[in-house]
Amino acid sequence: MMKKIYALMVVSYLLWGQGLWAEGLIAKYVKEDLSKLNLEALFWKEVTPETIQLIAQPMVAPRPQKTLTEKLWVQVVHNGEWMAFRFKWKDKEKSEAGPLGKFSDAVAIQFPVKEKEVPPIFMGAKDSPVHILHWRAQYQKDKEKGFQTMKDIYPNMNMDMYPLEFANQYSHDEMLKKITEEQREVFVSGKSAGNPQSFQKIKGVDEMMAEGFGSSSVIENTRAEAQGIWQKKGKEGEWVVQISRPLALEGGSILKAGQKSFMAFAVWQGGEGEVGCRKSVTMTWVPLIIEDKK
Amino acid sequence: MATVKNWQLDRQMDYPYEEHRPKKQWAIVFDLNKCIGCQTCSLACKTTWTSGKGQEYMFWNNVETKPWGSYPLAWDVRVLEKLGYQHWDKNKPYSGKTVFEAADPAEKAVHFNPQDEDWMYPNRGEDDCTGNVSGGKYLTLPHDNWFFYLPRTCAHCTYPACLAACPRKAIYKREEDGIVLIDQSRCKGYQECVRACPYKKSMYNPYTRVSEKCVGCYPAVEEGKQPMCVQNCIGKIRIMGFINPPWNAREDNPVDYLVHKKELALPYYPQLGLEPNIYYVPPIHANREYLIQMFGPKVEEVIENYKKIKNDPITQGLLVLMGSTDNIIHRFKVSEGSAYAFDEKGDQIVRVPVTEPLFIRTPWDEKLGVIRNNTP
Ligand code: SF4
Ligand code: SF4
Ligand code: SF4
Repeated sequence: MMKKIYALMVVSYLLWGQGLWAEGLIAKYVKEDLSKLNLEALFWKEVTPETIQLIAQPMVAPRPQKTLTEKLWVQVVHNGEWMAFRFKWKDKEKSEAGPLGKFSDAVAIQFPVKEKEVPPIFMGAKDSPVHILHWRAQYQKDKEKGFQTMKDIYPNMNMDMYPLEFANQYSHDEMLKKITEEQREVFVSGKSAGNPQSFQKIKGVDEMMAEGFGSSSVIENTRAEAQGIWQKKGKEGEWVVQISRPLALEGGSILKAGQKSFMAFAVWQGGEGEVGCRKSVTMTWVPLIIEDKK
Repeated sequence: MATVKNWQLDRQMDYPYEEHRPKKQWAIVFDLNKCIGCQTCSLACKTTWTSGKGQEYMFWNNVETKPWGSYPLAWDVRVLEKLGYQHWDKNKPYSGKTVFEAADPAEKAVHFNPQDEDWMYPNRGEDDCTGNVSGGKYLTLPHDNWFFYLPRTCAHCTYPACLAACPRKAIYKREEDGIVLIDQSRCKGYQECVRACPYKKSMYNPYTRVSEKCVGCYPAVEEGKQPMCVQNCIGKIRIMGFINPPWNAREDNPVDYLVHKKELALPYYPQLGLEPNIYYVPPIHANREYLIQMFGPKVEEVIENYKKIKNDPITQGLLVLMGSTDNIIHRFKVSEGSAYAFDEKGDQIVRVPVTEPLFIRTPWDEKLGVIRNNTP
């Protein structure tokens, strides 16, 4: 099984140069402020969406049993400084994670880092890094409503007391009274370990570097911005998401007007249990042709 | 897939990584004949490690009443059902499949993902017996109607499914003591470990958005101390130590002695194939078929061995050492009516009499001329 997939990889590797996607995505030049997020901006109407075909991630276990998101519609524009992407995909329910066993809807885009080198499509490889922007509905909620507390996730929950907070307020012991928030957080292991998962995602999007499956690490202080909205469409529903990034993200990927680069895509339907490797992806890099400034 | 040796199954099996046994392997032995279901262990763990936000339903140690209790809901039944028929003839290698061997090629292990509601009833079935002991019934061994308490921690498995399933390789097994930990800085909360651990001992924290699990009380273990749930066990049913594989077993090592030398304790659900490192002295009164399902075909023999302890002063000595010290016992000996425990350096930790001296207080106090009673 694995052998066949590797064979497929090699073939697709050869195809890149051959122009399977001879056209690719065209990042149209516009004279607009793209650092501001606006899903309904007029200029989007002038850009024809490209259809990107996705398939269930086939490389590493756990692999999803079937492709849940077959098509992703993408529009791209840039203004010489910023590039903005507008995505649309079908998803019958909005999933924002939170409680145990619930996952978030998400979309991610990936760029090569080194100039003139296209890394392996599946999140790069050692010394062949990729740069990823990852929007999650869960992060979006963080951005809009603040970091989700237990009370937010479980509104009907009742908790008698958290001992350290209780001690802080009511103890007669002077030492216990002096326990600081910082000392308490030693026991909130995700936070005390500095895991970016455990802090509010103020931008709604994570910026990451990866050198192979499972190796992604979050870059602090991303300059990228994102905004998404889920809307009901009859019995179906769809996500519309915008991700904006400066053309040049230092330490990540550097895109230049008038040049060609590549992109890859992934979509997760959290409500169907998709998370991590359980996702729909593009099997080949999609050329990104960045129009010259006019 | 690599081929690894699983001594609990007496055969080779498939596992995603090569066999790599740590220098020492953390292990706990529980005597299920003595557990009183007091949950002191659960509280000891909870107050030490999981009293914060997002840990409201988190019990790294829990005690469930078998057969009706389970936490998360029906974990055992659901895992066994997913695994399918498990054939194991007595004195033969296990001939069924493990969770790794039975897995769909798209997955690392046979699994299920417990939902939110499944984690909400940690006390379900507590103290429920299989049926009523109604008029005219009398007790036989095993009992017609029965229950027993099953205290559980993470088994710090030799072949952890949680570790195998983590696509970020954020779970690791420590070389020095075999404790399995989730790297709290790298976990991304995919919950693959929660899905894959058949014992459901990896748990998701919705507040920090990463998964957590029993840490084997590693800071205590590093200081030569037994874990909190062991130190605080009211029934003195537990002993934590380091187990060797049978080919390296040492007779004076308490865990090796109970598991390998005397065959008094068995791993639970060994057929899942993880080589779990918590071992149980099976309860002699419970239904045998149920016990075979839980502990494998050796269980009857092990119960017979247990019944022989009354004539075995060495084992008696070791059993009284359980709960007699907070320190990890690396070596023990029993001589002239006393049991001795030694630490890693060989220094004596504790000496206890195998049989406590007996004092009889007569109901009548001659000296004071009064009737004694027990009112404090
Ligand atoms: S019991 Fe579960 S969580 Fe613990 S090591 Fe084994 S597989 Fe991992
Ligand atoms: S070993 Fe420590 S962390 Fe694990 S269940 Fe026992 S008390 Fe909790
Ligand atoms: S503290 Fe000991 S006796 Fe009490 S429930 Fe836990 S294991 Fe059983």
